[in-house]
Amino acid sequence: MKAFEYVNALTPTSAAGLLGENGRYLAGGIDLLGEMKEYIATPSRVVNVKNLPESKTLTVSDGVLRLGANVTVAGIAAETEILTGWPALAEAARDVGSPQIRAVATLGGNLAQHSRCWYYRQRDLTCLKRGGNTCYARDGQNKYNAIFSGNPCISPVVSNLAVALSALDARVVVQRKEGEASLTVSELYQDAWSNPLAQNSLAPGDLILAVSVPSDGRKSAYLQMSEKSDFDWALVSCAVSGKIEDGKISGARIVLGSVAPVPLVAADAAAFLEGKPLDESSVTQAAEIALAKATPFAHNGYKVPIARALIRRALLKLLV
Amino acid sequence: MSDWPKKTEYLGRSTPRVDGPAKVTGAAKYASDVQPEGWLYGMILRSKWPSAVIRSIDLEKAKAVPGIKAAVTVRNGERHVRYYGEELAAVAGVSKQACLDALRLITVEASPQPFVVDVVEAIKPDSARVFADAPNLGEAKIKEEGDIHGAFGKCDVVVEGEFSTQVQLHQALETHGNTIQVETDDACTAWASTQGIFSVRDGLASNLNIPQTRVRVITDYMGGGFGAKFGPGVEGSLAARMSRETGLPVKIMLTRFEESLAVGIRPSSYQRIKLGADKEGKLIAFDLDAFGSAGFASGGSSAGGGGGAGFPAPYIYRVPNVRAKHAGVAINAGSARAFRAPGHPQGSFGMESILDDLAVKLGIDPVEIRLKNDPLELRRKEYEIGREKFDWLQKYRPPGTSPGPIKTGVGVAGATWGGGGRGTKAQATINPDGTVEIRCGTQDLGTGARTVVALVAAEIFGLPPERISARIGDTEFPASGGSGGSTTTASVAPAIFDVCTKALNELQVLSGVADARGANFDAACRKLGMEPVVMQGEWREGLSSSGVGGVQFAEVDVDTETGFIKVKKILVVQDCGLVVNKLTAESQVNGGVIMGLGYALYEQRVMDPQTGVCLNPNFETYKLPGAADVPEIEIVLLDMPERGVIGIGEPVTIPTAAAVANAVANAIGVRVHSLPITPDKVLEALGQIPAGPETASSDLDKSFVVVEDLPAVAGEFTDDVPS
Repeated sequence: MKAFEYVNALTPTSAAGLLGENGRYLAGGIDLLGEMKEYIATPSRVVNVKNLPESKTLTVSDGVLRLGANVTVAGIAAETEILTGWPALAEAARDVGSPQIRAVATLGGNLAQHSRCWYYRQRDLTCLKRGGNTCYARDGQNKYNAIFSGNPCISPVVSNLAVALSALDARVVVQRKEGEASLTVSELYQDAWSNPLAQNSLAPGDLILAVSVPSDGRKSAYLQMSEKSDFDWALVSCAVSGKIEDGKISGARIVLGSVAPVPLVAADAAAFLEGKPLDESSVTQAAEIALAKATPFAHNGYKVPIARALIRRALLKLLV
Repeated sequence: MSDWPKKTEYLGRSTPRVDGPAKVTGAAKYASDVQPEGWLYGMILRSKWPSAVIRSIDLEKAKAVPGIKAAVTVRNGERHVRYYGEELAAVAGVSKQACLDALRLITVEASPQPFVVDVVEAIKPDSARVFADAPNLGEAKIKEEGDIHGAFGKCDVVVEGEFSTQVQLHQALETHGNTIQVETDDACTAWASTQGIFSVRDGLASNLNIPQTRVRVITDYMGGGFGAKFGPGVEGSLAARMSRETGLPVKIMLTRFEESLAVGIRPSSYQRIKLGADKEGKLIAFDLDAFGSAGFASGGSSAGGGGGAGFPAPYIYRVPNVRAKHAGVAINAGSARAFRAPGHPQGSFGMESILDDLAVKLGIDPVEIRLKNDPLELRRKEYEIGREKFDWLQKYRPPGTSPGPIKTGVGVAGATWGGGGRGTKAQATINPDGTVEIRCGTQDLGTGARTVVALVAAEIFGLPPERISARIGDTEFPASGGSGGSTTTASVAPAIFDVCTKALNELQVLSGVADARGANFDAACRKLGMEPVVMQGEWREGLSSSGVGGVQFAEVDVDTETGFIKVKKILVVQDCGLVVNKLTAESQVNGGVIMGLGYALYEQRVMDPQTGVCLNPNFETYKLPGAADVPEIEIVLLDMPERGVIGIGEPVTIPTAAAVANAVANAIGVRVHSLPITPDKVLEALGQIPAGPETASSDLDKSFVVVEDLPAVAGEFTDDVPS
């Protein structure tokens, strides 16, 4: 990698100040160091944000789960309160990387991670997302790419936690130049839907500080399908949530990962389910609706049946 | 009958590796760990173009980077590079960072040329050519026996299928590389990660143009090779040159990225097979049209160092009427090297798949059709043992009839291998204090060779293995061959037997102790006085043999809604002659099966047809099986001491993919014709993918139209059917 300066930030505001022209925040480093080793990121300064106050705390009060940005993925996976109150989040965390990665990777880093498209990560290519002219994946090896996109880049979002947090209606607290902002997960990613250069909606210098997740009596579930049994990216992931009364669902949220540049909220499918009993027939119809507008490429049409299966299975899991 | 003792104290038991503690504590020093005084890091600049004429390479800025001690080009003058990742230049410096910085300051003037990385594209007449003066599709070799044209008419049933196998990478955990020190007097010491210390020695002597006696190669420990680590490689040659230039040791260990581009592959294969039989299932006719690529040099008949892209067909079966045609295809990608059972997994997958299709069509049980057609009695016995152990008759049901969305299936396949022994020399020293040292210039590829040396010596002397100092991995020791072809144990064990038997005799003569073994050993040694016993010995006939069968049974679950395959169990029934160490023999089987699972389900090098680069040069997207993917592996070793020692490193990886593929077809009722069997292909086979643009596998299906009329020349096909 390119040589860089390393500084230790003690407060969020000093972190932003230290960043300079071409700096990057470092927490777990799983994503950033990978980009630096491939010269995809060449920051002249790396600002360590692991030691920011309160950033590693996890609290539950008044039914709201609050996670500091530096809570590790392993920490989320292991927390019994999350497992019982927000199972989709714990399940999503358990499927991230390997035990070693989960022990180091942070919530903030998982949300802010960059594209894993193999064209984007190829050191000798400059794809559209890296400022070039072409999305090579469109006419190339697009097996792992998106089946929905609002822009020429078809790199999918791969954060498991984003998918679960979106289904759980979480808010992401971000420090911006203008001050602190509380974003929905959709807002955190929406720029990536339309702008090929965007990984998410964070501007340079923006720093994720914390995430808060309401509970309001909802059940939730997360499922993903990978090629391998463990330590593999999701081909498709799916998180669902909703209130269940007498077997009927209300306020459902259905969110898909690894199929679009953003966590894909299947709002039509959720609306269809409102007030309906969850059974084979209703979940199958919901899955059909969710995938109706998918536009797969030459090698990723298989994501459609997988997404349908995961939606059906995740919804039925809410009854358990 | 072999000369091995009938009653054994150590042979055939499960003995932990003598160097296990050193490996797990980090005390064992691998080529990557060696740090001789003053050593420099070395790194290689590689082509960013899949094909280009290199006009000039300017090293001046690189040389000026602080800490850089040497910078060299691979070759002077203009040259044509033919794949992404081909070596251009190298630097050596005091830190990795200095080298990284320097590589980025080398300027290369190049004229990019048209290229092709996709085999199916490469055989089209209008494809870009890897070599301007020859088509990418080489002349086909053809094997004909009997009357193929008339034979199909006499068959009661004929099945046809098109199969393809991917490019697999060796992916040894320790990458390729060496630490090399060339002194001012041209004495060269190389710490090499190699499976052939003598071939590295000879390669370096030739590169440096010095006598072989001036080169010493040391491989105390190495982290796997699988056939791709026999020579010093370009990386070794560059390290040697830069060491000579600087007078300092230079270490070049490749990165995982480099490992994926330039140091060997298992060639791909595309096979169209037609198989005919009578209504009893007896095979009558076999017709194969095949091609595959061993990389850029694949146009040649045995290019690529791994013997080209050909494979044995109709594999282990004897069919009276055979036509088998195979052509190599050049593409702009790194060359093949020998890879654990070269050619066999490809041949096994095609033949065992079509054989199961035939069995299904005839309504014959897959084990039964193999018993009818397998010419090797031993393997037929293994099928019978396996059928019983696996509870096959209980588990097998007609294809696709398992209930529910997650379907269970079973499959079976067989393999063959040679694996005999050959010339190896060894020296034994028995000291008056009772210590024993064995020296043998073999190397431990990871199979437990050092433990084999200790165990055989222990058996002869009647001493516990830890009493034996087993020294290997040094070209100053008596010569042995490369660790390839599953020959190491069959070569080394007889040599150790020979030298130890001689040394024991000598000890008994000199000491006057009639039986100096075991409890009498130390007393006998004390009578030696000042003179140790030093004996030379070598491999000889009667202690090893060759030719094994081997069958595997697989049980899988297939999720028909997601395409996910979970392998539940693999049963291995394998003969291997005399079992020297049961524990390491079983480790070989486990490793072979796991590698076979990778071939069956996960592994595949992916090239980008638009840019010619490799898209998965890492363990993130080049998917190797992990612990969670490994099923229960049950091993039945047929211990046959009367046959002497036979290697099993290779046969045990051959049939896994075919057995798994057959199990998947049995589970879902349709066949996936290409490896690896990933969820997308399962869903496609099941007709679950909505109509849309063409998929990868349908591209493959069309490719066979193009090769309808392969030019044919007479040539020999590998024929590994044991007689």
